Amino acid sequence: MSPGKVVPLDAIGGLVPDGSSVALGGAWFSNHPMAAVRELVRAGRRDLHVMTVVGSVDVDLLVGAGAVGHLSFSMVTLEAFGLAPNVRRAIESGGLPYTEYTGLGLLIGLEAQGRGVPFLPYRGPFGSDLPALYPDIYATVACPFTGEELTAVRALRPDVAIVHALRADAEGNAQWDGTSAADVDMAKAAGRVIVTCEKVVDRAEIVERAHMTKLPSYYVDAVVEAPFGANPTSHVPAYALDAWQVMEYAQAAGGDGFGAYVDRLRTEPEEEYRDRVLGKGRAEVLEELVSVARVLGGSGA
Amino acid sequence: MTDYEVHELMVCRVAAEVDEEGVTVMGSFTPLAYAAYMLAKLTHAPRAFLAGFDAVGMAPIQLSFTGAEAAAYKGAVCRWNMLTEINSIHLSNHGGVEAVSSAQFDGDGAINLSVIGSFDAPKVRLPGGAGAAEVIKMYRKMIAYFGRHDARTLVAKVDFVTGTRWRIGPEQRRAANLQPGPIVVVTNLAVLVRDDDVRPFRLESVHPGVSPESVVEATGFELEVPGEVPITAVPTDEQLRLLREEIDPLGTVKFDFVTGKDRLAYLAGVLDLEWRRAEESIAGRSR
Repeated sequence: MSPGKVVPLDAIGGLVPDGSSVALGGAWFSNHPMAAVRELVRAGRRDLHVMTVVGSVDVDLLVGAGAVGHLSFSMVTLEAFGLAPNVRRAIESGGLPYTEYTGLGLLIGLEAQGRGVPFLPYRGPFGSDLPALYPDIYATVACPFTGEELTAVRALRPDVAIVHALRADAEGNAQWDGTSAADVDMAKAAGRVIVTCEKVVDRAEIVERAHMTKLPSYYVDAVVEAPFGANPTSHVPAYALDAWQVMEYAQAAGGDGFGAYVDRLRTEPEEEYRDRVLGKGRAEVLEELVSVARVLGGSGA
Repeated sequence: MTDYEVHELMVCRVAAEVDEEGVTVMGSFTPLAYAAYMLAKLTHAPRAFLAGFDAVGMAPIQLSFTGAEAAAYKGAVCRWNMLTEINSIHLSNHGGVEAVSSAQFDGDGAINLSVIGSFDAPKVRLPGGAGAAEVIKMYRKMIAYFGRHDARTLVAKVDFVTGTRWRIGPEQRRAANLQPGPIVVVTNLAVLVRDDDVRPFRLESVHPGVSPESVVEATGFELEVPGEVPITAVPTDEQLRLLREEIDPLGTVKFDFVTGKDRLAYLAGVLDLEWRRAEESIAGRSR
């Protein structure tokens, strides 16, 4: 196999300079590019402008590690495990400038950039207090045909998008099976694209399941093989949410043990992270949680 | 009649609003809303069309914190992504019933998921509204559910409008290219409904044992109270069986009703059950 665009995980620090704007894929507790996020922490990146649609431990970890200078999001939450402790603390202390997008607005801003237009109109967040805070992002436009008032969202171009796929070939043809969230739209809008994936495969394997390719290689600049690269978030159908690691995270981030948590990550290469977190049969259980997930009888119509 | 808990009554009351017209997008795993949709699908609305995560046209699933996502994909007819979903469901007005919850909610149908206090250095930075800012106005029916009905949550005016129903009465909604339909609020005390631009929320029913006066007292916005206030229907034995044995045997819905220090232990307990089930499945295979 030609090396193509494949680089090791520890090259990511060099691909994302301090001060970059970085869109992180995944949503909710699904499919965040966590191996790449850990690598940004290990590389000691600072002053990143992090963008997320619905972020969780990915964004909170970067904020807690001091890597973030600005945060753009429509939601950041640890769901059952509470509000995101580091994000909350940083914003409440006035220490983290942020842009709160409306969810559809953020996606349509990415769509506009992906299509190469400066803005797109839509039936926007009428009545929301958010647009008035950001006149450089949201504006009102009239339909040129009917005069109907619409919301315009400005095109959004991250310097870099980092997304986590199920598999990719060395050129970056990338496939997803379960949740792909806004990964493809982030990639289409970004200046450069890093795809991390569970496994780098031959082109023939991609061709065999071409209907699953959501991101073709001409968008992609670098490919990184990162097994369990979304852990502790899920990558269905490969493995489920590692709720136990998230709980440990939430307790560390919510208490005074977070410095130690980050210090351990900084000095622990990804292989050692995997040994620690996925050893002793834990990987098998996380995979099995997908198998035992149950559809109920009755009509699925 | 089987004894029920209030979260079960709320699930049943939300389920009653679910019908077979249009599409419901549930996003990530919110136990009470998920339970209500699954109950509807297993009873009166088998053809309710659901999208959870990026799984479109879901079958009913059993709820769990680690398995809901995988289960959603297993029974679904289609896998999209967020942008296709918003363009094809929300913005093209295919939204049927949407259930939301928020830190604050007011009598105009506005939700606050952004901040308590000032925006730049708030007292509490809330998670943000994701798509709620746009979509709660677009659905035919908006359901808002709250596990704790009090005047801090149901307020006269939200501190910050993350999103709002925007137009409420049927004529105003049609004129704005929106599907006409009500706002239904389901809480641990009562059901409130508003479907008119001028008239405030009215008290539709109180749950058994709750007085109309106590609901008015716990509500920060104006409430119209009819002379006779009906009692909310209690869960049937069959609904309780489905919830306890099929939909939510692990008890994910109740988690949101556990408060204080007990919360973490309760969550750890549910996760223990999920872990053990997976371990047993592995052991069963290797036997």
